Amino acid sequence: MSGGARRLTGSLRFRLLAGAAVWIALALALAGLVLSGLFRDHVARRFEAELTNQLDQLAALVELGADGAPLLRQPLSDPRFRRPLSGLYWQVGPGNAPLLRSRSLWDETLALPPDEVADGDIHRHSVAGPAGRQLSVLERAVTLPNGTAPLRMAVAQDEAELRAVVADFNRVLWLSLGALALALIAAVMVQVSVGLRPLVRLRAELAAVRAGRRKRFGGDSPREVQPLLDDLNALLDHSEEVVVRARLQAGNLAHALKTNLAVLANEAGGEAAARRVAEMRRHIDHHMARARAAAARGLPGVATPVADSAGALARVLEKLQSGGQGGGRVTVAVRVPREHVFAGEREDLDEMLGNLLDNAMKWAGSRVEVASRLEAGGMLAVVVDDDGPGLPADRRDAVLAPGVRLDESTPGSGLGLAVVRDVARLYGGDLRLGDSPLGGLRVELVLPVAAS
Amino acid sequence: MRLLVVEDDPALARQLAERLEGEGYAVDRAADGEEGQFLGETEPYDAIVLDLGLPRVDGLTVLRSWRAQGMTAPVIILTARGAWTEKVQGIDAGADDYLAKPFSMEELLARIRALIRRSKGHASAEIACGGVVLDTRSGRVTLDGQTVDLTGHEFRVLDYLMHRKGQLVSRTELTEHIYAQDFDRDSNTIEVFVGRLRRKLGADLIKTVRGLGYKLEAP
Repeated sequence: MSGGARRLTGSLRFRLLAGAAVWIALALALAGLVLSGLFRDHVARRFEAELTNQLDQLAALVELGADGAPLLRQPLSDPRFRRPLSGLYWQVGPGNAPLLRSRSLWDETLALPPDEVADGDIHRHSVAGPAGRQLSVLERAVTLPNGTAPLRMAVAQDEAELRAVVADFNRVLWLSLGALALALIAAVMVQVSVGLRPLVRLRAELAAVRAGRRKRFGGDSPREVQPLLDDLNALLDHSEEVVVRARLQAGNLAHALKTNLAVLANEAGGEAAARRVAEMRRHIDHHMARARAAAARGLPGVATPVADSAGALARVLEKLQSGGQGGGRVTVAVRVPREHVFAGEREDLDEMLGNLLDNAMKWAGSRVEVASRLEAGGMLAVVVDDDGPGLPADRRDAVLAPGVRLDESTPGSGLGLAVVRDVARLYGGDLRLGDSPLGGLRVELVLPVAAS
Repeated sequence: MRLLVVEDDPALARQLAERLEGEGYAVDRAADGEEGQFLGETEPYDAIVLDLGLPRVDGLTVLRSWRAQGMTAPVIILTARGAWTEKVQGIDAGADDYLAKPFSMEELLARIRALIRRSKGHASAEIACGGVVLDTRSGRVTLDGQTVDLTGHEFRVLDYLMHRKGQLVSRTELTEHIYAQDFDRDSNTIEVFVGRLRRKLGADLIKTVRGLGYKLEAP
């Protein structure tokens, strides 16, 4: 089955419409056949009744002449008998008397099959008539007063007339039924649309939940759908709970480890111990960040506006800064549109952006700028610029190597760029270094964007 | 100067207290959020070191409750979890600075000194009054360029008066800020320390405002 066909048969709307169309077609076809048959019978009976009438009239008008030959006392009333080849004919004979026939027959004879018709009976034949037309013939045997033998009297009519009437009727019938079918299918389409509207709304809700614009499904769906939604909500609750618990446990572990590390460092004292402790903290931070990001990756309903995180971090860092390279104050300008939303956890974004901003502020002269732009493939680039000394291109790979800090001299308070890149990559993003138009380093943090 | 250390890890709390006392601070300790919250609300501290991961009541709640009641002492928080989110939450809850665990003790001391100095309205690390200069970074006191040796209690009294120079400091206030809570306080000893300081730094540096307290002013 091709993909398109599978998509069609997999669609509820298609199934309902196709089912309805089949039933409508079958029902209307049956109705059409029955109606058409009834009409044909009715028309045939009308024809026969008329012919019988004509035959009776004929029988009444024929009498025997003085010579014993049959003759017509007066012409039959229907003018078609006088118009040659009009399709309506009568004939008396053949038999033991000379043939008498309607003017419409011209010089043709109705080729009646040999038949013994009891007096008063009417027999029906179908014979080839003038111009090769098929004729319906009614025949009876009449013994006239003074007559010795019964005469065969026949009235014939072109069957084409009957067929034409039936065909006319059928054409109108099938056209009407076709129109009715279309109207019914249209009605079914409307009904299906109305009936499936909750599902369409559900799909929109699902997209919203996936994109993180909604936390849970609403409770106002039809009875048939609501249990599914309740289950989905429960599933969402569960995964969120699992992630929250995992994060809490990771946090507790980090807290315990770091507190003990602090104690150890104070007990040991000295430069070497301090370096080891800083190293161990980096490992803890690194793996905690990774574990957190891995737990949250792909979780539906998670979205963090970049502006929120960047704004809060900039506010805190500006307040607590120890000053830039020249010792003066560093200002952080955040120009991130509100609609740029990261498809991930606030804590992870805080961690990545916090480290980038912290780094930028340490190296900046007086300005740090945060901006963002959308990229192809559903990604978002958060751009952090500073006006510091920058980083030569040949050292950029080195600072992205694991365990290397831009500022090796002070045990900083956050993760290195390598860890930021690690977390970004866990989310399917990346970290790029470049030259800033402000003169310093430009760091671009590429992250998945939450669908809007 | 009197500090409160709210830290649930006994070893770290002890280390902090010992080191801070060694630097001339009077230190109270609280091992959980509830006790810490109570002490912060009732005692006049000059700075507070607050761990965020506390039993009973967590650090952020404690901090918010302090600030909601108008407690203005500078607070430095110790963070360990999702570092940056916690820092932002801490600052938004009213902290004045943060330090990520594990931290270097020197860094913590420098931050505490800076916080106290700023909270008392001094921009520079050195506070001068007449010929007397207190270097808050080293804890060194000089008179006309000559280093003056002070005992721990003498230093605490001078340190507090220097930070509040030009302002009237009652004897009770002075007592509250140089002794830890569990110390057997005797306000008469304050007079003894003031007397010794006058002998070492000049008789008219510390003025006695009768019935009210002391005032440190350039002669």
